[in-house]
Amino acid sequence: MSIVQADSLVKKYGGIAAVDGVSFSIEKGQIFGLLGPNGAGKTTTISILSTFLEPTGGEAAVDGLSVRRQAGKVREIIGFVPQEIALYPTLTALQNLKFYGKMYGLGGALLDERCRDVLELVELWERRHDNIEKFSGGMKRRINLGAGLLHGPRFLLLDEPTVGVDPQSREHIFDTIFKIRDNGATILYTSHYMEEVELLCDHIAIMDRGKVIASGTLKELLKMLGEGGVIELEVAPPGCPAGLKEKIQGQQEVTATRSEDNKLFVSSSNSARSLPPVLKVLEQSGCQISSLELYAPSLEKLFIQLTGKELRE
Amino acid sequence: MPAIKKLWYVTAKDLLIVAKDRGAWMTLLVTPLVVIVVVSFALSPIYKGGSLHATMLVTNHDAGSLGKQLTDALAASPNITIQPASDRESQTLKQSGSSSGLSLVIPKNFSARVQAGERVQLQVYEDPNSTTSAPFLKGMIDGAVNRFSAVEVAAKVAVAEAVEQNRQADASAVASQASAAASAQMQNQPIQTREQPAGGVKTLNTFDIETPGFAVMFLLFGVMIGAEGLLEERDKGTMGRLMVAPVSRASILGGKLFAQFIVSVIQITLLFAVGHFAFSMDTGSSLAGLALMLVATAFTATSFGLLLAALTKTRRQASSIGILAILLMSALGGSWWPLDIVPSFMRKLGHLSMNAWALDGIKGIIIQGQGLADILPQAAVLFAYGSVCFLIGLKMFKVRAA
Repeated sequence: MSIVQADSLVKKYGGIAAVDGVSFSIEKGQIFGLLGPNGAGKTTTISILSTFLEPTGGEAAVDGLSVRRQAGKVREIIGFVPQEIALYPTLTALQNLKFYGKMYGLGGALLDERCRDVLELVELWERRHDNIEKFSGGMKRRINLGAGLLHGPRFLLLDEPTVGVDPQSREHIFDTIFKIRDNGATILYTSHYMEEVELLCDHIAIMDRGKVIASGTLKELLKMLGEGGVIELEVAPPGCPAGLKEKIQGQQEVTATRSEDNKLFVSSSNSARSLPPVLKVLEQSGCQISSLELYAPSLEKLFIQLTGKELRE
Repeated sequence: MPAIKKLWYVTAKDLLIVAKDRGAWMTLLVTPLVVIVVVSFALSPIYKGGSLHATMLVTNHDAGSLGKQLTDALAASPNITIQPASDRESQTLKQSGSSSGLSLVIPKNFSARVQAGERVQLQVYEDPNSTTSAPFLKGMIDGAVNRFSAVEVAAKVAVAEAVEQNRQADASAVASQASAAASAQMQNQPIQTREQPAGGVKTLNTFDIETPGFAVMFLLFGVMIGAEGLLEERDKGTMGRLMVAPVSRASILGGKLFAQFIVSVIQITLLFAVGHFAFSMDTGSSLAGLALMLVATAFTATSFGLLLAALTKTRRQASSIGILAILLMSALGGSWWPLDIVPSFMRKLGHLSMNAWALDGIKGIIIQGQGLADILPQAAVLFAYGSVCFLIGLKMFKVRAA
């Protein structure tokens, strides 16, 4: 059962589309990852779903509520953790949480209880009376995350929540995210760190230049590269002779081929077994091989395959 | 009701932040107080509350008694210190590292020539750039010289009369006696002036004049910091986070502005309270009128802060444009000097700034002794001024950074 539905979302600034026809759905209880380089449109997408930005086109709904027409009701059931440390540095952790809790209508004993729960969840209860400005980057990130959890949101939007934190704090944040999911919340997680998305997310959408260019579970996405990996060949002369790709495609275990300039990518369910017949076909076609690389499938390689550039560019 | 409650939570949070910020209180209270105290003491001689004191260099080449009498007459004034000087020192107005606004050179044979009825010129050197001590000293010299001239003329008339009536009289002795008698009469000052404050105009304390002007200026600097805070909240994501919480834009902005208004009222009230209790600044006879003016001024300043935040995109822009606007408004609006001394067109131009209206009302109460009813027009203009700034600012302020 899907809790979030995005249909052909568009957000334009002037004539430039930051989000260009993005569609996806998120199942209840899922951790859904939006992966892409900086400027891919992840933050704009999450801003539309959180009701911060109104889309130029398309529609999105959270738990059946339109983010355009029922923004007020959507705000009551979502929690938003922005990329920035959106806290008041000269106030204590507890003062920050109490303030945000009151904004969600919490008060009295319930507010105290929720603040304690959250501070214990992010393991900063002992530091509750310290000003945020005295915290390390990782601790600030944990309180930043906690401020979005106070009212027990059904849908939590996390925008790059681990930027600039040390590995230990990152582990802390991951543990917290799993606990939140285990308590029944659905999570949308954006990141440009593929290893985070691989580790955390049940379903992943890869974004580039405002579009979703691939979507599926990790397994489904890696399958696009070939389960056994990829053979990357640099050949001369550039380009493939007519019929070469088809010949390679017909070889043992080969699942897909793609050429780009003088590079040839061969996906296979077993690269080691596919390599000898592929090399033989190339030799017979008069192609000279100047370099050869075999690698296991990964989101990074998939991104390169799909866009021709590195994820961190 | 939840909207009002949330507005108050935003206000309470901002007040807590300001209360914990020592730097903010330095800017809001300590800096203005230091400036007000320094300026008030420095300018006290200009106003009635203090007296001007100046040093005059005197070079006396006269061997007779009149040169000394003239010097003694000048030295008799409690506001003048006479420093004997050389010709060179008198010409340059400089002596041992110190300087004077004016010097007097009494020529040789001054006594003899005066008594012989000759026209004698005293040489006066004055600093053309001195706008206070030189005219003051020149006035003192003119007064003394006029007295001497009157004495000598009176003496000569007396001598002529005596010689006419008694042809055997010793003219020289008679002249000397007449001169002494006339001089003694002049000491008694047969014609005197009596000074008294004009009806309804009281004697001013410099703090009466300087505290309101600088308090209004620093109030504007306070709201400029508030405007920067508004932009910072937008840029650092806290406002964005609030915008996706179930709380209205009106509650967020209203709460922040209400906090700024409360801080402004506290700031200007404390500045006036310190002026009154520590430096005897008058608060007039209408506390209600003064309170209304302070509230109206704080409201207008707060609205100005919102407008500043709305018209600028970054904190740096708000700071640079804010400083320029505040200094301009303060100069034109009478925060630094009374508008009574500026040309008429500058006075009209000055009333484009909120400072002029605020100071007209506040000074009306504490200097001119006006009441609540008298300052209602100024308060109304301020509320109207603030409302226009508020509405434009509210309309133009973007909660999302561009």
